[in-house]
Amino acid sequence: MKAPPIGTLAFGAVGVTAIALIIIGPPGARPTKLREPTSETVPQASSVSVAGFTLTSESIDLPFDEQQYPEGANADVINANCTSCHSASMALTQPPLSKDKWREIVIKMRDVYKAPVGEQSIPAIVDYLSTMPGQANSAEPGIERSAQDKS
Amino acid sequence: MKSLDGELATETSRRRFLAQAVLGTAGFAAAPALAQQLVDLHLPGGNSDRPVTDAFPGKGRMILQRIHPPLLETPMEVFDKSVFTPNDQFYVRWHWADIPTSINVDSFRLEVSGHVDKPISISLDRLLSLPRIEYAAVNQCSGNSRGLFVPRVPGAQWGNGAMGNAKWLGVSLRSVLDLAGVRPGAAQVRFGGLDQPVVPDGPDYFKSLAIDHARDGEVMIAFGMNGEQLPLLNGFPCRLIVPGWYSTYWVKMLSSIEVLPGPDDKYWMAKAYKIPDTPRADVKPGATGYKTVPINKMVPRSWVTSLGDGQAIAYEPTIPLGGIAMGGDCGVARVAVSADGGRSWYQTQLGPDEGKYSFRRWDARVPLPGPGSVKLMSRCWNTDGVSQPMQPIWNSGGYMRGNIEITTIVAS
Repeated sequence: MKAPPIGTLAFGAVGVTAIALIIIGPPGARPTKLREPTSETVPQASSVSVAGFTLTSESIDLPFDEQQYPEGANADVINANCTSCHSASMALTQPPLSKDKWREIVIKMRDVYKAPVGEQSIPAIVDYLSTMPGQANSAEPGIERSAQDKS
Repeated sequence: MKSLDGELATETSRRRFLAQAVLGTAGFAAAPALAQQLVDLHLPGGNSDRPVTDAFPGKGRMILQRIHPPLLETPMEVFDKSVFTPNDQFYVRWHWADIPTSINVDSFRLEVSGHVDKPISISLDRLLSLPRIEYAAVNQCSGNSRGLFVPRVPGAQWGNGAMGNAKWLGVSLRSVLDLAGVRPGAAQVRFGGLDQPVVPDGPDYFKSLAIDHARDGEVMIAFGMNGEQLPLLNGFPCRLIVPGWYSTYWVKMLSSIEVLPGPDDKYWMAKAYKIPDTPRADVKPGATGYKTVPINKMVPRSWVTSLGDGQAIAYEPTIPLGGIAMGGDCGVARVAVSADGGRSWYQTQLGPDEGKYSFRRWDARVPLPGPGSVKLMSRCWNTDGVSQPMQPIWNSGGYMRGNIEITTIVAS
C-alpha cells in the first residue's frame, strides 16, 4: 500500500481529470454514465509516507441510529432522555434485570456519565426499562423469567 | 439538553440517507424484520438475536450490537479462516459517541507531556521515522463473552467475538517516552484518544499503565494493522498496543500521553474496569465487600471454530475439528479437545507459531460417541502452565471469562 507524495497525487489528479475530459469529449457526444468517475467523488486525501509505510487522511460517515424505544408507557420520556449518548439497543439487548438494578443503572448514567436526566424523569425511565419487552416484568408473553440478578 | 438535541438534529439530517438506505428506520429488537439478517449468539436466557450489518465504513459483515456509538462483533466463522482477523471484520468498541469521523494526517499530533524533561508534540511523519517494531497480538475486550455469564450481568451483551488478532506495526512506547525524557519519580503513564464525551463533564476516556510496563519496549504505538493503516473505527491513525492485556488499555486514536508522578485517580482507572482481587476474578453472585483491582493480564482461552453452535452434521465415527487458542499473557503450549462432554480428551496439532501473543490454530480428529447431540470442548494450556478450567467464573462486571467453552452440534 504505497501512496505517492501529495504533490504527485495533486498532479496526478489534475492529469487524470484532463485525460477524463478528453476521453469524455463534449456534452452530447457521450453516454451519461461515463460522467461518474470525476474528481468530485475522489477528494484528494493527504498522506504521510516514510520508509515504505503510508498513512492517508480519512473521512467517514457513521450510520445514524433512528431506532426509538418501542411504544409503551413512558416511551416518550426514555426517548427524550436516553438516545443521545447511546442507541436504544444498548438497553433493549440487556438480560432481564430487577427494577432495583435498572434504577442503579439509570442513576449511574446521571451521576457518573453526567446524562442530563431530571429527577422527575427517573421513576418513569426505570418503570419503562423494567417492564419493556424481554424484561422479567414485561407484559409481553413468552419471555422466561430468569432467576438471577441479585447483585 | 437543548444543545445536545440541536447537534443530534444536524447529525440526523446529515446521516439520514445512509441510515434509511442500509439499516431501516427501526432497530432490531423492535422490528427484526428490517434487519438484513439475524444471528443467534446463543446467550443463556434468550434475547440473543442480533442483526448482521455491513453498513459501517471500512467494515464488512459484522454483528451489530449497537449503532451509536458503535459496538460491532466479529462473527465466529471469521476466526476459522485465519489466525489473523481481517481489518474489515475486526471488532469495534467505543465508549463515547463523539468520535472524530475525519482525521488529517498532516495536522494530527501526538502530545507527550506531564512528568517529563521536555513536553513534545509528535507528527505522524516523525512517528513513522522512529525505529519500528512488529508483532502479532490478540486484542480482546475485557467484557468479551459477557453475554454468557450466568447469572447474566448488565453491560454490552457480547458473544465470543469481541476479540481479534492482528500483526501490529509501530514504534515502542519507550522510544516515544525517551524523546520527551521521563523524569525520576514517574509512577504511571496515562493515555487519551481523540474521542470525547457527548455531555459536558462526562468522564473523558483515559487509561494508564505503570511506568515500568509502559517502558518495557513491547508496549507499542501502532500505525499498521495487518500491513495496512488502521480502519478509522479501530483507532486510525494510531493506537496503543498492550500485548497480553485486555483491550481497555489499547487506547484508540491515541493523541495524548501524560507521564504521572503518582497513581491515576481518574474515573476509568479508579472506578471502571475493576475486577475482584480474587483467584480468576471469581466471586459468588451477589457477593460484596471484596477488594478490587484494575483489570490487567488476559487468561488462556480456546474455541472450536470449524463447527458452529447448533450446527447439524452427518454422523461419522471420527470427525475433523479445528479452532483457535490464545495463551493470554504468554504463548499456547497445547490444546486438547473432547467430543463427549469432557470425559475423554485428545491432543491437537498446533498450527504455525505466530508469536506468543497471537492466536494459534489447532486441528484434530476426534471420535464421536455416537449419533445425536454432541458437546464439543477445547482446552488450552499456556506456556506458564495455566489451563482453562471447566467451571465458569462470575463477577458483576462480566470480565475475564476463560472457562472451557461448549459447542453443541447434532450428528445424524
